[in-house]
Amino acid sequence: MFYRQAGIRYTSYPAERQLWPLGIERVLMGLILALALIAPALLSPLLLSSYLLPWVIWSIAALGLNLLMGGAGQIHLGYAAVMAIGAYSATHAARAGLPFELSLLVAGLASAVIGVIFGAAALRIRGLYLAIATLAMQYIVDFAIGHIPAISGGTQATVATPTPRILGIPVEGPVGGYYIALVVCIVVTLFMLNLRRTSFGRALAAIREKDYAAEILGISAFRYKLMAFWTSSFIGGVAGAILVFCYYRSVSPEQFHLETSVQLVAMVIVGGLGSVLGTFLGAALILLAPLALSALVASLASSGLPIGSDLRAHLPLVLYGALIVGFLIAEPLGLAKLYDNARKYLLVWPFRHARS
Amino acid sequence: MLTTIRAAACAALAALPLLAQPVMAQDKVLKFATPQDFTVVYTFVTAEYNQGYRDYITLINERGGLGGIKIDVLVSDHGNAIQRGMEAFERSTRDGAILVDPLSTPVSRALVTRALQDKVNLITTMSGRSDAADGTVFPYVLPMSPSYWSQVARMVDYIRQEEKDLKGKKLAYVYIDTPFGRESLPLWEALAKKDGFELQTYPYAPPGNEQSAVWTQVRRFRPDWVFIGGGGVGQPVSIKEAIRNGIRVDRIASWVWLSESDMDVVGRAEAKGVLKFAVTEQGADSKVIKDIIAEVVDKGKGAGPKDKVGTSYYNVGVMAAALAAEGARKALEKNPTGPFTGEWLNAGLTSISKFDLGGFLPPITITPEDHQGGGQGKVARWDGVKWVAVTGWGAANQDIIWEMIRKQAAEFKATGK
Repeated sequence: MFYRQAGIRYTSYPAERQLWPLGIERVLMGLILALALIAPALLSPLLLSSYLLPWVIWSIAALGLNLLMGGAGQIHLGYAAVMAIGAYSATHAARAGLPFELSLLVAGLASAVIGVIFGAAALRIRGLYLAIATLAMQYIVDFAIGHIPAISGGTQATVATPTPRILGIPVEGPVGGYYIALVVCIVVTLFMLNLRRTSFGRALAAIREKDYAAEILGISAFRYKLMAFWTSSFIGGVAGAILVFCYYRSVSPEQFHLETSVQLVAMVIVGGLGSVLGTFLGAALILLAPLALSALVASLASSGLPIGSDLRAHLPLVLYGALIVGFLIAEPLGLAKLYDNARKYLLVWPFRHARS
Repeated sequence: MLTTIRAAACAALAALPLLAQPVMAQDKVLKFATPQDFTVVYTFVTAEYNQGYRDYITLINERGGLGGIKIDVLVSDHGNAIQRGMEAFERSTRDGAILVDPLSTPVSRALVTRALQDKVNLITTMSGRSDAADGTVFPYVLPMSPSYWSQVARMVDYIRQEEKDLKGKKLAYVYIDTPFGRESLPLWEALAKKDGFELQTYPYAPPGNEQSAVWTQVRRFRPDWVFIGGGGVGQPVSIKEAIRNGIRVDRIASWVWLSESDMDVVGRAEAKGVLKFAVTEQGADSKVIKDIIAEVVDKGKGAGPKDKVGTSYYNVGVMAAALAAEGARKALEKNPTGPFTGEWLNAGLTSISKFDLGGFLPPITITPEDHQGGGQGKVARWDGVKWVAVTGWGAANQDIIWEMIRKQAAEFKATGK
């Protein structure tokens, strides 16, 4: 009904290979893009700066991690450390006078170089062993940042980020920051959508399924594993830089501890491994659900429901946990799969069976 | 092919009406926000602090408010997470809060730039950056309490008086390895140089529930005095390890972060003799606490269990609320008609003069330049049942501290733009 396939005939290869072959999906994408562009005019400053902006930024980071976890099947428990490297190198680069655009590049490169060093562990070990190796990266980077005053910024351990300048024009406030984040997010999203159609993406998929089988097919696991870590760390570094420049406006060690890494892994898993849409949904659930739930419980409490202060603080956490478990029981493959099920059903509606 | 972002946006749109609550237009109410960490790190500290805060505000409101104007306390949980703290800050200022008290060092550090830009009074009682005492650089950040530097300096001064002379004595500073613990290292070095004692510093890894490796090193140093610089779970562990490693209990000192609850963990009798810095009178015998019990708690309007009334952190909460309310009273005196904005309240907070809440606090004077308010406190000793003050109000080495405050504030000013 909604997803009409009737009348779609491919007469050229580009038409067959386009990202969204169904008309309605192109319309929806255009609509979402338009909404995203005019969001600052539609939403209140609170919703823009505390919900939409962090959601866009964390989605960039989660996309980067999903490339590694969903695309190449390599687990990473130190992704917050990757972001921290990007955040700190961009901040120090910008404070040294480098333009913001180049600072972002520096952030990506610094994270990629360091990320690939730790990623090299993946050449020898996999699965849980790799998880521990990347966990070590988290702690080593945490320690280095905390104990080198030149990085952390001395006794107070907080470095303010300069106002980002695009082509020399200062971009101030949450609206400016939102547009910077949105542009980066669109670029990364398009990259991720196209990734699986490239030889790089297919090589990663082969390695994810079985790395020595991939070797037999002529895919160099050495090369592609390192490339996966490189690309993913690059995106993570840029995301970290965007996070501190456009949202936090200062950088300090506690922004990038292990909890953040775990949250990122949760976003990817709850959303759906390897799914771009799922990454956005997962980021929304992990990031925004606690905020929305505590606002909900607070408004229930102020409307006269007898909720004590202890319960008021802990009830949102209980609901949040229940929500995550509930979604994963309903669909172990993540939120993206829930959407996919609905889409497949509607593709052939009113008939009952989809082809795939 | 994937249809990206779509359902995500739908979900967000569906959630919008939920989140957008109407802004209440009430003129005769001042809103103070206390987004604090009830669930992750500060937990029971927050519970007691917030209870004291709200009970005192209720006391003011029960007595008719400030010239008819009542104070409303907005409570929420930020779980010590910067992201949630920022959201709570934005939400409460949108709801009309002119004062925000996050009681969390990471969150308040992260909120400094926002508070300065939005002109909202950021109260950092017993948390946040010590150099925020410099009001010329941080006009809207108000610690209004002795900084960790002042607390350390006061305690070292007490030890100096006990020992007559510190020359050749050995002091160990055992601290949590975070910016919060490391912040006082420069002061320790300055004091060691000035008083001539031998200083060794020992960091332990956060959160501090395992410190045995550190304390065997401390034992080898054989210190005369040990100062433990942590907060929350690490504190009772430090005391237990110190006792196990043969350090005399009455030679263990700390800053404000020790309470009755921590002593329960160590063992009330075992911990007899431990010293701490106190910013308020201890216990429930002061007039203000008795008033709260009579007029708020016994009337069933208390914010929490009665047995927590008068605990150390409860009293700190009363202190923070009393200073905020006194600031509002001063602001009303200056400008009775408002508009009741952050700027209006700031003028009142920075003209608090010799406020001591009937002897419950040392006389506190806040000026536009000095946001610390004197840095005075008492030294209190645990007698096995309760904390007993062993000195009067006092501050020490404020000249060294202000030198450091000005130096770091100037650094913030030069680079923090």
